[in-house]
Amino acid sequence: MLRIEGVSAAIAGVQVLRSVSLGLTSGRTTILIGRNGAGKTTTLRAIMGLLPVQGGSVRLDGEEIGTTPAYRRAAQGIGYAPEDRRLVPEFSVEDNIVLPALALSLPAAERTRRLDEVYALLPQLKTMRKRPGGGVSGGQGKMVALGRALMVARTALLLDEPFQGLAPALALDYARTLGDLKRSRPDLAILVTESTPALLDAIADETLQIERGEIG
Amino acid sequence: MLDTLIPLAVDGLASAALIFFVAVGLTLVFSVLRVLNVAHGSFYSIGAYVAASVGLWIAGAGLNPWLSFPALILSAAIVAALFGPLVERCLMRWTYGKSEAIQILVTFGLFLILEDLQRIVFGVSSLAEDTPMQLLGSTRIGGVIYLNYQLLLIALAALVVIGLRVLLTKTRIGRLVTAVVADREMAQSIGINTNRVFILSFSLGVFLAALGGALATPTAGAAPGLGAETMVLAFAVAAIGGLGQIEGAALAAIIVGLARVLAIYFAPELDAVAPYIVMLVVLLIRPYGLFGQAATRRI
Repeated sequence: MLRIEGVSAAIAGVQVLRSVSLGLTSGRTTILIGRNGAGKTTTLRAIMGLLPVQGGSVRLDGEEIGTTPAYRRAAQGIGYAPEDRRLVPEFSVEDNIVLPALALSLPAAERTRRLDEVYALLPQLKTMRKRPGGGVSGGQGKMVALGRALMVARTALLLDEPFQGLAPALALDYARTLGDLKRSRPDLAILVTESTPALLDAIADETLQIERGEIG
Repeated sequence: MLDTLIPLAVDGLASAALIFFVAVGLTLVFSVLRVLNVAHGSFYSIGAYVAASVGLWIAGAGLNPWLSFPALILSAAIVAALFGPLVERCLMRWTYGKSEAIQILVTFGLFLILEDLQRIVFGVSSLAEDTPMQLLGSTRIGGVIYLNYQLLLIALAALVVIGLRVLLTKTRIGRLVTAVVADREMAQSIGINTNRVFILSFSLGVFLAALGGALATPTAGAAPGLGAETMVLAFAVAAIGGLGQIEGAALAAIIVGLARVLAIYFAPELDAVAPYIVMLVVLLIRPYGLFGQAATRRI
């Protein structure tokens, strides 16, 4: 259970979030809809601890994590896939995916277990695992970023506009994968932001609207 | 002509090796912290003064003179341990993500502080301590005499190139550093403690600069003003190689070293400006340096 309450945030003096509250529950998928600049990405970054917030609280299973740094939130099992894929171009696809295991010093067995889990969900990643991270297309890169976030995600998974820039076929594929994920990982609370939510109707348990930094 | 040029080349490469240590540290700090540390050269001169003082102490205390070799490396380690975490935590961290003008002003302020600190601690006279050079002696090849210490410097620089490459590609911390260089925010969100990576990288950069200074003492001693001089040269080398490029810095150091040798031989009056002529030509043709690429910065 991940809950944010009354979180506000400003970027360069501009108020981007105005007392935002939302709750995520294991096994449920929440969709956050809003136009560009409405505050979707900032909401995710605030949950992840990537920007300073003004007041409010972020609680994970009742524990206040509002002031813990992002890397500790990752260690607590919050996985985040940013809208742009942000792979390490010098690393292979697989090395990009297992990077969190290295960062979190996971034991080898756990690392293999999580990687197998990722490959089971996204078999196309296994076939391109040796390719350099800098050499995959935008759509493939999004899959890699999803796999990487899944290596981290034990409690919550935050996906920022996963369909942005995806070819229609790939977008359908991605949506199907999210459906599979929801079934195979009932332990995960999933939050997806989108500007065009049609593809997410099938998996959405709750849909929230954000406008000018406020959730209506 | 070769009889003169080859010893000059060894001389040039040995001094290039020293500049390389500084330049590669500068470039490493720049790629991880994204701050061009104008005070970086001061760690070279502090390294030189500490190494010379330790060397003189070893000689004065009548200890085994061979101890002066590990003492050079130990001196650099002391400087890195003393200044690395302190400067990164108390000063550098406040400049991350700020405009280049602020970064340059802050690190220039640091440079002035460190220069005065040296005058207070070590005085304004120069120190000379050449035990390591004397111990290694010289080699005569084909009628030409080479200082073995200079050959050692060149070998050490090659070792540092390989060592850094292995560190960055084969070790856990190296791979985490690479991830931070690629994308700081992504690195944090997959569980990397970027603050630790910053401290480690900055301290390693300080160590490399101090190592250059320490290794320079047996042949050049320590003198006031060394920091500024070294900084400018190291910056030229880093820029020629392409900021953030290890092998680029190595190649650039060799080119600058050889350019100075050629200048000394053919046009001695150009000795001091030779590195900057090379830099000018390289940057006119390749604005991001020999190995550099235009960064695709994301917001």
